Amino acid sequence: MSTSLSPSLAPTLDNQTAERLPRDNRIPGNGAVWVGIFAELSEFALMFLVYFIAKVHYLELFREGPVALNTTAGVLNTLALLTSSYFVAKAMSCVRMGRIKTAINWLWGTIGAAIFYLLVKGWEYFWNNAQGIEVDTNVFFTLYYYMTFNHFLHVAWGGGAILWAIFRLKTGGYTAEDHEGMEAIACYWHMIDLVWIIIFPLLYVLR
Amino acid sequence: MRNLSYFRAVPYHRILDLIWFVLMAMTLLSALIAESAEPSLLVTAIVALTIGIKGRLVVDRFMELRNANPRIRFAMNLYFYLLPLAILIVWLFPEFLADMTRLKK
Repeated sequence: MSTSLSPSLAPTLDNQTAERLPRDNRIPGNGAVWVGIFAELSEFALMFLVYFIAKVHYLELFREGPVALNTTAGVLNTLALLTSSYFVAKAMSCVRMGRIKTAINWLWGTIGAAIFYLLVKGWEYFWNNAQGIEVDTNVFFTLYYYMTFNHFLHVAWGGGAILWAIFRLKTGGYTAEDHEGMEAIACYWHMIDLVWIIIFPLLYVLR
Repeated sequence: MRNLSYFRAVPYHRILDLIWFVLMAMTLLSALIAESAEPSLLVTAIVALTIGIKGRLVVDRFMELRNANPRIRFAMNLYFYLLPLAILIVWLFPEFLADMTRLKK
């Protein structure tokens, strides 16, 4: 199924830098991916609810917890994920312009950012361990590990989906006219980024 | 009129560059707050607002929901209205919420 483009939003298609934007009122990707995205967001919403309830019962622990965590690691993770999302958005923009090779390069950038995120998070867990921070240290750290490791897994398998998009682009599976599958993968990846946009301040910033 | 035409002609991928830059700056601002500011209502409000703005930028621009199906866009944006609101409510009424969620013996 092809993803049609809005002529009204593409008035200047006269050279290779001209862009096509998706048509109005469309469902990006497909309906199925949005069922998945809203299911995932509901799962994380439950975790955030548990976080808020635990916080009002253990205010002191939630005030001390973020101070004990490695803020640099949290910031690096945030920068890496936001950048990865930016790379995916650039790749989508390139695919619409028919610049498939450039799109593939942007997606490799996404993979690099994802690997960086996973390495930093892995290092952070070792660092925590050296500081005596473990899953059962207190309820703040239990929630920290539950949320961040869950998110860690999402980045890992989301990276797998990006690799699939690269494979499909290389084999002609996605074109400027037909890229519904890639759009679905892009939306899923952005959802992973959105969840971290919330997790980072909850665990590392707010006291 | 000429200036307006110029802004309309800004390529979409250049807008993406600008959004990325804003997101980076807001993250570094959050980091600065995490490292230096003492907890307060103002700090909590700034952090909540930052989450809302960052979420909206990613939803509208990176996820490209700006002109997509309005129900999907509404649901996604609602997430980034409710979460900041929840953060503020937790800061303002922790004892009340603790009472509401305490298991009775």
